[in-house]
Amino acid sequence: MTKAQPSPLVEVKDFSMKFGKTTVIDSLNFEIMKGETFGLLGSNGSGKTTTIRALLGIYKPTEGKLYIENKAYTVDSDVTLGYLPEERGLYRNESVLDVMIYFGTLKRMRPNEAKEWSLNYLKRVGLFDKANVKIDKLSGGQQQKVQLGVTIMNHPKLLILDEPTKGFDPVNRRLLMDIIEERQADGATVVLVTHHMEEVEKLCDRLILLKDGSAAAYGTVEQVRAAHNNKSLDDIFVDVYGHHALQGGEQHV
Amino acid sequence: MRYKGESNMFNIGTVIGFEIKRTLKKKSFWIGALSVPALLIGVVFIIWLSNKSASETSDQFKNERYSLVVLDESERVNPALLSQFGAQTVENKQKGIDQVESGTTDAFFYYPNDVAENPVEAYAKDTGMFENSKYQAVAEMLLEESVAATVNPADREVLRGNVAYETTTYRDGEEYNPLLHMIAPGIFLVLFYFLIAMFGSQMLTSTTEEKENRVIEMLLTTIEAKSLIVGKIIALILLAFIQALVVILPILVLYLLFKDQLNFSLPVELSAIPIDGERMALGALIFIGSYGLFTGLLVAIGAAVPTAKEANGFLGVVFMLLFAPLYAVSLIISSPDSLAVQILSYFPLTAPIPLLLRNAAGTLPLSEGLVAAAILAVCAVIAMWVAIRLFRYGAIEYSNRLSFKTLFK
Repeated sequence: MTKAQPSPLVEVKDFSMKFGKTTVIDSLNFEIMKGETFGLLGSNGSGKTTTIRALLGIYKPTEGKLYIENKAYTVDSDVTLGYLPEERGLYRNESVLDVMIYFGTLKRMRPNEAKEWSLNYLKRVGLFDKANVKIDKLSGGQQQKVQLGVTIMNHPKLLILDEPTKGFDPVNRRLLMDIIEERQADGATVVLVTHHMEEVEKLCDRLILLKDGSAAAYGTVEQVRAAHNNKSLDDIFVDVYGHHALQGGEQHV
Repeated sequence: MRYKGESNMFNIGTVIGFEIKRTLKKKSFWIGALSVPALLIGVVFIIWLSNKSASETSDQFKNERYSLVVLDESERVNPALLSQFGAQTVENKQKGIDQVESGTTDAFFYYPNDVAENPVEAYAKDTGMFENSKYQAVAEMLLEESVAATVNPADREVLRGNVAYETTTYRDGEEYNPLLHMIAPGIFLVLFYFLIAMFGSQMLTSTTEEKENRVIEMLLTTIEAKSLIVGKIIALILLAFIQALVVILPILVLYLLFKDQLNFSLPVELSAIPIDGERMALGALIFIGSYGLFTGLLVAIGAAVPTAKEANGFLGVVFMLLFAPLYAVSLIISSPDSLAVQILSYFPLTAPIPLLLRNAAGTLPLSEGLVAAAILAVCAVIAMWVAIRLFRYGAIEYSNRLSFKTLFK
């Protein structure tokens, strides 16, 4: 008996992206397997967000193919997607519950189902009494909790989190980690887009490290470390980018 | 969970519901909608109060009794009426004035020999700015009633201008009233003006909120840009109808409740308004094309700029083009074939008002109307396409305007 090979959920083939004369991604190839937690790493401006936006059909790739379950993603795809973008926000002048029900319904939940799920979630994160409060009356941390709820409310089988801990306080960081673990336990595929190596080391099965739109490293965490003399991912990141990357000196794309 | 086959239509429905619900919760919507009937109620109340007061005052003044002397050189005032009023006569004008000055009588009326040439003069004790009008009211009543009694009732009504006139005109051998025929197709012009004036700004900013709130990426991965835009546009149309109802219903109720007191009736019977099928169909086509074009244009502008504030800067330009033909209404109606009117009718951004007005006035030939409606429809489709594309690809340009080049990439 041979062990069944995991099949890819996401396939990126010969993907290139140009904005004007600037090449942001240059012939990128990688796969994300079903059920794994995958780290899409790189410094600011390395092309992480561009890759995700192209994968989700927000950008049209200049060249190449980006597939989820063997076809380009559209909102009518069979895959249930949870996406927390790097640029995030909600309808500020609407109530928490109205916004959650709206997104839940757009994500193909029945309105009653979306309402019930939302109230349970708000109870879980201590915001039940804020259900009818306008979003802009919530604190930044409370808004983050609502944002996370909106991201996962359709029980996504593919959860893409772009810089998920950006701006998160420790409480919400903990909540996020719990949510990721729950989704992992549920068999979901999780993609973490980040430049925080400790999160990757702790959560990811495999990773790709982007530099100037190309893969500087790709494989399991162990394979990548082995290829770099068993250095920590932090050290590998510094080796690839140099110290200036840590000072945030690169342009974001 | 639903399934993908039903998701597009359902999502449009979800967007419509969300947009309508949140707009109806805004105070500004209700202030805007209720201010028109509130203003009308206020105006109607003032008119009613004023009419009531004027009528009461007039009756009161006519029946006012005060000591009076009269000198009637015109010999038109009926002495019986004067005696009913308790008026005395004097021999000369100065004597009458002296009596008023000395306070022995309240008022003196002098009717000159030729009342058509010279004014009737009233000399009286001052009783205040408003009360003083009672003297003229009585002087006028005495003369008018006296003269009216000398002619037959029909002549009296002619002299009083109480005669109704009816003009019947014909076109192509059939009875034709141009004003009456304007009413039904003119509804499209009113509707278009109302929709654009009330919701232009909202159309323009309907997509900037998603940008400003950074919610666009989450939306674009859950709903087609096309469905979102279509849902928003349908919601705007439905909201316009809701707003129209909010404006019209109180006015209708007010009319039905107070039409007798207001002494107001509709100038034409509703059942007498002719419905010209051809003109109605053409009006509907022009209306749909015009509304589609301007909605697409406003949404496209909103999608291309990063903030609502910046988007609003363009509203003035669009409105200027659209409403400029209103300054040429008389030209549009009187000289529909002039070059200026033709240009205004065929240039899509100025076309809606001239076309709808000419169609209502019956000066828009069917062939010309169909060509213009087709131009509007094509431009509307292009504007919608541009709007959806700009929204689709410009939405995540959070702080930049989208370049024209990007649109066609």
